[in-house]
Amino acid sequence: MAKFILRKAEPKDVSDILRLIKELAKFEEMEDQVILTEKDLLEDGFGDHPFYHCMVAEVPKQHQSADGHAIIGFAMYYFTYDPWIGKLLYLEDFYVMKEFRGFGIGSEILKKLSQTAVRTRCSSMHFIVAEWNKPSIDFYKRRGASDLSHEEGWRLFKIDKQNLLKMTNEE
Amino acid sequence: MDFTIRAATLEDCKDISRMILELAEYEKVLDQVKITQRDLEQDGFSKNPFFHGIIAEVPEHHKSGEGHTKVGYSLYFYSYSSFKGRAVYMEDLYVMPEFRGKGIGKALMSKVSQLGLAAGCTQMNFTVLDWNKSSLDFYLKQGCWDVTSDLGYHCMRCEGDALEQLAQGDL
Repeated sequence: MAKFILRKAEPKDVSDILRLIKELAKFEEMEDQVILTEKDLLEDGFGDHPFYHCMVAEVPKQHQSADGHAIIGFAMYYFTYDPWIGKLLYLEDFYVMKEFRGFGIGSEILKKLSQTAVRTRCSSMHFIVAEWNKPSIDFYKRRGASDLSHEEGWRLFKIDKQNLLKMTNEE
Repeated sequence: MDFTIRAATLEDCKDISRMILELAEYEKVLDQVKITQRDLEQDGFSKNPFFHGIIAEVPEHHKSGEGHTKVGYSLYFYSYSSFKGRAVYMEDLYVMPEFRGKGIGKALMSKVSQLGLAAGCTQMNFTVLDWNKSSLDFYLKQGCWDVTSDLGYHCMRCEGDALEQLAQGDL
């Protein structure tokens, strides 16, 4: 196989992006947690101040997936800031449909993202991986990624909307 | 103690830079800070800022031992969850040691939450070092939870040579 292109996502891609987000969530056993809609993706990614950027992998019609999809992989990212070293590229989601793995699509996506990071003068690319996801951890470590939680003791914390509201009301 | 919480301006970069170094020293990694006051000015206060800042300020008669009235800060930016959409990431939260225990940290965090909610965010994320027990306790008391501990998510980084090599991409 292997003909595919990588391109910047367009508004028309939001349906496929959401489909792939849900597929990845299913793999992480968190499908019921995806509350994002196509409308959110459209507003948040394609307005004046996008909250995220997205790249999609597309195959020609004759190679489309078993259930008829030509958009078979994606990466969602945005820019963040570390007050010690400056701009960073944060990789939020990165996924290639199972039947299209092993053709170098994932590697090519990662390469393109790294080029974007270098071109925009980001000192680093950050992302999170679940510790049980050994194939992904190996994939990233092979490419020189280091595990900050393990090596430096960083723990990721989250506060949800309910508690955010509580905090803003307690003044 | 009287204090005010307000949005950071270009003029605050000198004090933000000072406090970033104080925080880095507290985290025992002072040699890792590469960002200068000038970088902060460019990256935080140009047309497309990479971060936003909040400052805690005390009146002149409460200034610090060395004469500072800007005694705490928070740096944050907007991010995106592919599950839930808009999110706010609190990158730094710091109050000078002599001004702790007076509700300033909580007020800074509350301001970031307010701004996040106003921008349509449904969650706030941040990282904490695993040895930092007083911070861990403070955050857990605000209703946060430890994603690394509960879901096994590890923060990963790809930087320097590894990032360059990934961009050249022959692996």
